[in-house]
Amino acid sequence: MISIIKKIKNNMFLTLVFIVYVFLIIFIPEKALQSLNNSLYYIKEMLIIMPVILLLTSLIEAWVPKKTIENALGEKSGVKGILFSFLLGSFSAGPIYAAFPVCKTLLKKGANVLNIVIILSAWAVIKVPMLTNESKFLGPKFMAVRWGLTTIAILIIALISSKIVKKEEIPVKESIEKEEAVLNVNNKFCIGCGLCIKVSSKHFIMEDKKVKVNKRILKAREDEGIRYVIDKCPAKAIEYI
Amino acid sequence: MDFITLGLWIFIVIWFMSSIIKDKNKTFNAIKMSSGLMRNMIGEIIGILFLIGLILTFIPPDTIKYYLGQSNTIVSTIVAAFVGSITLIPAFVAFPLVGSFVNAGASIIPIVAFLTTLTMVGFVTFPLEKREFGVKFALTRNILSFGFAVIIAFLMGVIM
Repeated sequence: MISIIKKIKNNMFLTLVFIVYVFLIIFIPEKALQSLNNSLYYIKEMLIIMPVILLLTSLIEAWVPKKTIENALGEKSGVKGILFSFLLGSFSAGPIYAAFPVCKTLLKKGANVLNIVIILSAWAVIKVPMLTNESKFLGPKFMAVRWGLTTIAILIIALISSKIVKKEEIPVKESIEKEEAVLNVNNKFCIGCGLCIKVSSKHFIMEDKKVKVNKRILKAREDEGIRYVIDKCPAKAIEYI
Repeated sequence: MDFITLGLWIFIVIWFMSSIIKDKNKTFNAIKMSSGLMRNMIGEIIGILFLIGLILTFIPPDTIKYYLGQSNTIVSTIVAAFVGSITLIPAFVAFPLVGSFVNAGASIIPIVAFLTTLTMVGFVTFPLEKREFGVKFALTRNILSFGFAVIIAFLMGVIM
């Protein structure tokens, strides 16, 4: 029962939409059916794109070194970074929400705000298949002029945004807030000092000179000891994911 | 599936397989981390998709046509930009739709505003964007995009 309430609390928005649908089904069933039908196209689109996005963010996480992203899209990437961002956004697939996890991963790996805004906006507006479609229905001149203006606008928007929003103001690790986040020791960072085991021996064990969490611990069950070691770990390797 | 989506799928599958061959543990650990990120988003995304269905039912394309066709260009452009921000219709529906308006003699200024905000300003995806990138980022990007969509529209009116 408590876990159901928690689920609802974590998914307020979904619950709200669900209630509207229930309402419609009771009072105007034909509108509910029509809405479901309309949504179907988008659900299909999501199912096609989200597995790729999941794998893409995982593979970037695992194999692309921070240094590479920093050089390509970070603070000192300059004009090259801007061009790269435009290309990345334009040759992407899927709706704008598919860009969110990808951009988040890139941010975490050192991309700057300027380039992230470019990738997000280009991802939304400048799509190669969309441009051919636009040219077909509205003429090549219309498409070319709008494309040119949009590209310039995105650049200006990104420049202004990067002046207004500092990178530190973007929440990077929001899953920490979630009750069902799982405690984990990042073995890339762990230096095997054993501090966490000394403080909280019932939660951590040493294995091959790296520390591991010995069982599944949810954020909801965090105790004083865990909070202390997360704070004191010299490599900052203990976190919720 | 368009060719870019297909290309992306092929690229990812090849990369994924070579990743598994190279280091199975590393690959699955990374997937575990990413699915944590996704798990937090998926409820919101599904909510958004069903909300879009509702919006399309209650604001059908005919209504959009009515607002785009208002006689005062400034008013109709602002309204069109708003309608574009709250609706999320697929591009392959939007282009033929507005193409038919243009052929019927409608002014292109509100139409460009509509097309641009349609993709760049996300009213329904705003809660998600806010949660992932913070209020300041989401507000800045969406407000600027809205403003520039209107500017682009009027520039198009001058150029075309």
